[in-house]
Amino acid sequence: MTTDTSPEPTTPTGPLAVGSEIETLIGGLERNRRTFAWKCGGLGPEEMRRTLGPGSMTLGGLLKHLALVEDEYFTRQLTGAPSLSPPFDLVDFDADPDWEWRTAADDSPEELTALWESCVARSRVNVAAVYAEGGPDARSGLAWSDGEPPTLRRLVVDLIEEYARHTGHADLIRESVDGLVGEGLPS
Amino acid sequence: MTDQYPPWEPPSAGTETEHLLGSLDRLRATFRWKASDLDAAGLRHRMPSSSLTVGGLLKHLAAQEDYASAVKVAGGRMPTVWGDDGWNGDDDWEFTTGAQDPPEELYAVYDAAVDRSRAVIGAAIADRGLDGASGVTLDDGTRASVRRILFDLLEEYGRHTGHVDLVREAVDGRTGEDPPADWRP
Repeated sequence: MTTDTSPEPTTPTGPLAVGSEIETLIGGLERNRRTFAWKCGGLGPEEMRRTLGPGSMTLGGLLKHLALVEDEYFTRQLTGAPSLSPPFDLVDFDADPDWEWRTAADDSPEELTALWESCVARSRVNVAAVYAEGGPDARSGLAWSDGEPPTLRRLVVDLIEEYARHTGHADLIRESVDGLVGEGLPS
Repeated sequence: MTDQYPPWEPPSAGTETEHLLGSLDRLRATFRWKASDLDAAGLRHRMPSSSLTVGGLLKHLAAQEDYASAVKVAGGRMPTVWGDDGWNGDDDWEFTTGAQDPPEELYAVYDAAVDRSRAVIGAAIADRGLDGASGVTLDDGTRASVRRILFDLLEEYGRHTGHVDLVREAVDGRTGEDPPADWRP
């Protein structure tokens, strides 16, 4: 633990080279969010619906999926909220497990981006509040199936993996859409 | 933890080191599963829009394992296996040659690099912890922490695991987020 209570610090190129645990966790997560948003940004509705190879994944679906994952991890699980946030709260995911992937095709790029951004904004507030209360060892509000509530640390590391992997998907789909490639945002 | 989780699943409430190394090992297991059981044609297969291959990804991540551990964390040099291997200074060398090497060689190169990397990173953490200095010196003379190098490697793995997801699906339709629970690397 350090005396730092702000989980927001980032540098333009990524986490601090010599940072505390939380600075590095949040810096890494924010770098992933930026790269992901760049790979999914600046496209029209038809391009957001394109698939690659045999897969059904689209850039629009990725945006809506990560909006859901943000809400599931940092709102429902972390704070123990009784349900997901709108629009996810009205969805029966048991009956329609691919809902966000499927319905992304009905949304405009602006709607998809706005949904993702609103979920990210809520996540940032929740993570900061839980960190201020209990640091990286703070327990989430919802237990996992083994009865153990995961720590804030575990959730953030999971999200970094989740973002990095889906950014890898976005890399290849985006390259097939308009040829955009690259590891990080152009400076 | 209960035994319902496979061995690569990180703890739900562990220390920072357990989580970082646990997440890295989960990605290694996932990547290795997605790259496994392919013949030469499968390892070389390309999608029309991208030059990436499973073979190229195996060789690239093998090199990244050694680079992150031996060079960046420990401040040493690349293991001699790379020096003897004809690297020609081309940044895409692993990707290009990995799409040509025989399957058994690609798998062996990757597995050996992971073993070396685990040992070097484990020793560095035992010696100086995640806050300890890595071998990477910044412009202002400070050394990046071991923590930062491991986070970078974690992201690199996650991203390339996303790549192998789509390339592998195009080869033979294998999909999935995690390996089957009874799969072992």
